[in-house]
Amino acid sequence: MFQPASLKGDSPTPIDERIRKKFLILYIVIIILSLIPTSLFEYWYITLFWSETYFWGFFIALPFNVFLSIYLIQLSAILISVLFLKIINLIHNPKEGNFKRTIEDRDYYFWTIRNIVKKWPLYVTASNPFPWLKNRFTLRFYGVKIGKKAICDNSWISSEFVSIGKNVIIGMNSTILSFAIEQDNFILKKIIVDDNVLIGAKCVLLPGTIIKRNTKLSVHSYTNHNQVLEENSIYRGHPAKLKENN
Amino acid sequence: MEGEEDSQFDLEVISTSGVYKTPFSLIILIQLFIGGLVLFIVNLWFINSLYYLLTGTEFYSFGSKTEWYYWLLLPLNIYGNIFLFVFTVIFFSSGIFRILNKISPPQEGIFERGSKEWKYMHRRFWTAFFPIWLARALPLPWLDIIAYRSFGTKVGKSVVLYEGYVDPLFVEIDDFTMTSLNICIFSHLIYQDKVLIKKVKIGKACVVGPHTIISPGTIMEDFAVLGVNSYTEINQRLKGNLIHVGTPVRITLPIQSVEESQQKAEKVKESTISDNTKQKNTDSNLKEE
Repeated sequence: MFQPASLKGDSPTPIDERIRKKFLILYIVIIILSLIPTSLFEYWYITLFWSETYFWGFFIALPFNVFLSIYLIQLSAILISVLFLKIINLIHNPKEGNFKRTIEDRDYYFWTIRNIVKKWPLYVTASNPFPWLKNRFTLRFYGVKIGKKAICDNSWISSEFVSIGKNVIIGMNSTILSFAIEQDNFILKKIIVDDNVLIGAKCVLLPGTIIKRNTKLSVHSYTNHNQVLEENSIYRGHPAKLKENN
Repeated sequence: MEGEEDSQFDLEVISTSGVYKTPFSLIILIQLFIGGLVLFIVNLWFINSLYYLLTGTEFYSFGSKTEWYYWLLLPLNIYGNIFLFVFTVIFFSSGIFRILNKISPPQEGIFERGSKEWKYMHRRFWTAFFPIWLARALPLPWLDIIAYRSFGTKVGKSVVLYEGYVDPLFVEIDDFTMTSLNICIFSHLIYQDKVLIKKVKIGKACVVGPHTIISPGTIMEDFAVLGVNSYTEINQRLKGNLIHVGTPVRITLPIQSVEESQQKAEKVKESTISDNTKQKNTDSNLKEE
């Protein structure tokens, strides 16, 4: 909604600087490849309209040109990053577990490469001025299951190991993290949010939490690692504790 | 009556925000089109003259001949176009907003999904979405205050609200109030199939700390301070000249002047030093013994 530009809700993709140096070219290649379809579209648009008979059409259709080109950049960025991700996943398949936060650990290494690949499309979708086909649309391409009628565009959701059910409402500025870094350890674990769950504003879900059906998590609370929230109940606190059970 | 309605579904515990995408959100395309149309009408003469300088032919002949120095106006034209676009979008959508307010005047209370108020709440939100996004995207901190005022929000003079979420309806902010980074001021609250709408009042020279949530129905009196990382309950009243902290707000602290706090800090320092010396003395005494 009317959030400032600094809080647009792109999903968290931290990148290790030791690994970023080697893959900077990959990042630039993805940006350039994703801009090619839009530049072709603009070329077609200008050659079609920029003449003495149709010049008024050029200006009247200009807002729609902007609208279309924004979505073209977004879609091509997603498709190219998905293609790169499939190649990277063939070399090393992503899996859950506890790992070490060093360059020698292959899981941590490939996790950061995946983040480098996803960074640009996630940034583009988050800074899209229109409310349609936003974070929910892009996250589905990366294998995040998000059900119908879920409201989750104003929150930071990790792009891996997350599944969200139908009719879920996730409040403003709440974060869903499927990864955690604790000193030298690195943890990846799946988060499952079931149907009809309501999560308040500014909540934090840490990796491994499972929220079952019809539960409600109060505002400004966070869940622990591997915490299970039972059905039909209300939770609140730091970390979340059972408040009511219907 | 209102209190009973609130207790129906435990609204004290939960507060969320988010708005469903109704078909009315397509109004953003109309706003975009109208903004572009005004740009076209204003820029017709300028771009025509530049085209003449480039090729020697014109779309229209306006009579006056163009000169080389028209190129110097191009940066000014680009910057002016941005302003023109934003102001036309704000002006046009505030007109639609007022028409919607006349068709069904905004009301406080609890409404169900599919009712008239629910529909019109969503319509108002989608008309306000794009202009406020535009105002926030530009690097001018006073532009979003103009946008909010055009939608009927009462915002006083020299108010800071550019780093957080603020609802456009049923919010009153008085003069010299300062809101910090990553705050949420909600006057609406969606709870499964129902929506609660209630007025939020923030008095004069209040300070809202970073990472806080102000729930619908809260009233902050003049000179009140809401501490870091805390949130208010529904219908809570924060008294003036005090600091309020807690999740939800439970603790109140007095506001000290700078001199008082310095004096206290010095006292604490002295006491700790004297304690240390005493301990050393006692230790030495023990050793001697």
